Amino acid sequence: MKRLKVFLGSIIGIIIILNFGIIQIQKKQNKTTQNTVTIYNWGDYIDPDLVKKFEKETGYQVEYETFDSNEAMYTKLKQGGTHYDVVIPSDYMIQKLKESGLLQKIDLTQIPNVKYIDSRFMNLSFDEHNQYSIPYFWGTLGIVYNDKQYTKNDVDSWKKLWEPWFKDKIMMIDGARELMGIGLTYNGNSINSKDPHQLQQAYHQLLKLMPNIKAIVSDEIKNYLITEEAQIAVTYSGEAHDMVSQNKHLHYVLPKEGTNLWFDNMVISKNAQNINGAYAFINFMCEPQNAAQNARYIGYSTPNQAAKQLLGKTITNNQAFYPSEAQLDKMEVYQNLDAKMLQKYNDLFLELKMKH
Amino acid sequence: MKLKAHLVQIYLIGLFIFLYLPIGYLIYYAFNQADTMNRFTGFSFRHFTELFNDTRMLVILMNTFMLAFLAALIATIIGLGGVMAIRYTKRKIHRKALLTLNNILMVSPDVIIGSSFLILFTVLGTYFSKLQLGFWTVLLSHIAFSIPIVVLMILPKLQELPISMIQAAYDLGAAPHQVMTKVILPFLTPSIIAAYFMAFTYSLDDFAVTFFVTGGGFTTLSVEIYSRARQGISLEINALSTLVFIFALLLVVGYYFISHQNQPVKEKE
Repeated sequence: MKRLKVFLGSIIGIIIILNFGIIQIQKKQNKTTQNTVTIYNWGDYIDPDLVKKFEKETGYQVEYETFDSNEAMYTKLKQGGTHYDVVIPSDYMIQKLKESGLLQKIDLTQIPNVKYIDSRFMNLSFDEHNQYSIPYFWGTLGIVYNDKQYTKNDVDSWKKLWEPWFKDKIMMIDGARELMGIGLTYNGNSINSKDPHQLQQAYHQLLKLMPNIKAIVSDEIKNYLITEEAQIAVTYSGEAHDMVSQNKHLHYVLPKEGTNLWFDNMVISKNAQNINGAYAFINFMCEPQNAAQNARYIGYSTPNQAAKQLLGKTITNNQAFYPSEAQLDKMEVYQNLDAKMLQKYNDLFLELKMKH
Repeated sequence: MKLKAHLVQIYLIGLFIFLYLPIGYLIYYAFNQADTMNRFTGFSFRHFTELFNDTRMLVILMNTFMLAFLAALIATIIGLGGVMAIRYTKRKIHRKALLTLNNILMVSPDVIIGSSFLILFTVLGTYFSKLQLGFWTVLLSHIAFSIPIVVLMILPKLQELPISMIQAAYDLGAAPHQVMTKVILPFLTPSIIAAYFMAFTYSLDDFAVTFFVTGGGFTTLSVEIYSRARQGISLEINALSTLVFIFALLLVVGYYFISHQNQPVKEKE
């Protein structure tokens, strides 16, 4: 009995010590809702120094949480019980969040630094007049290749992916919209097409592409390319930037037919508790100095005109990551499709995957 | 005969290498200077310092352990009650039925338990708005799935206790609570401690159930590692795994000393 008592006592002791420790750590971080701005962002998508700088400049405490897909983030917001102030979703998801009534209108007068944002990236189809969102980063979908094996001419068009010498070589990003988009672009249609006939055409075109595809994956692409286990991949410019900076033989190319143009924008959630803090954060991130620092850290393309000038020519002259106006004109932003249409895309994508 | 003994030895050595190699590999790279597991470029404690500066990770680590200690404690207490109830149920068929129900929970996959808890908690959440996914829901479900294992570990020991001992205690004038604290509990102590540690490890390494019922900023280690691994595992995770492994080692050694504290003397006699 004595042993049992000692055992029980020590366990209760450990629990109390642990609990005390947790409370101490949390107290040290000094969290009070009055003073906290809660940011909900993609993993590793901000320079941590900027968060510290923001805290120091404004006196707000930042609570930072991360998500790994737009859909996971949507579920979290929809479920309620959360009070994120600033969230950073992608374009089509902003449209969906807006339609679900999960966002607050943004008062642009509260964000004076919005004047630095390139007007090209304002007032876009998914959020007209920027009633709900402010651009954070943008990018494209393109092709990464290794110059030991291929030249730029081999991959400068989506059509070239169908060439027989790519047999069983291409790493494809795992996304219904992305893959179907390639098929639709091949036939000269919009990547937001709702025409069943066009989709069917794209599907048949893509069937012929399947023998060339080595694998349909998402996060693994990066390592495969860097370690040169694969030489060509279709992926997003953000991911591509990471690869290019880690292996100098890799290059990112935008196919000449045009491609998907994506945006990650800052929004204020419906359940935000600290509206002033949210405005302060968005304004802070739009400050050219900070936007430039963030772009240098993340490597994605910044929509901030003034920050772009601060970045210097070596970065912004790279047409793969800062394409010319003419190239940008050919690109399209994903629009949110209704559930039925989305199902159609997914079904075709699944069928392609099964025939792979 | 000698050859056979050698073969057994080789077999055992091979087996343990096979079991420990992946962990050893992981620990080895925890001390890597570079950021990936591709090549070992040099020895450094970099990832450990990184880990200790990551307060979020430390809070999660402490939360995970506190949860495991607490869930195992409550599960052991409840399970102990369950054992008594099953043992002293009068009719054999009822006893069998109860035990079978207990075993079904042991066998059913975590995913099913997790999703059923999620449904339960969300339904309850519509009636009691206070109940939101987070620490308490995770604690409740961990207690729930640990109870069957506690029952299963203590029951055989209780069945070993001759009923005549209890009767003798009563005959000598012991009150029911005295029988409990002076006869039954001391007899069960080793199995209670074993059951506690079993429940503890169950809770510590559970992923599936926790994944379903967690929320509101509360995460445990396994869920956090999972969501980090999607972006490519950072060696910080290796460093953390190393520490947890060492802790587990200490725990096993500690368990050995606790459970053998008094016994060796007796056994030698």
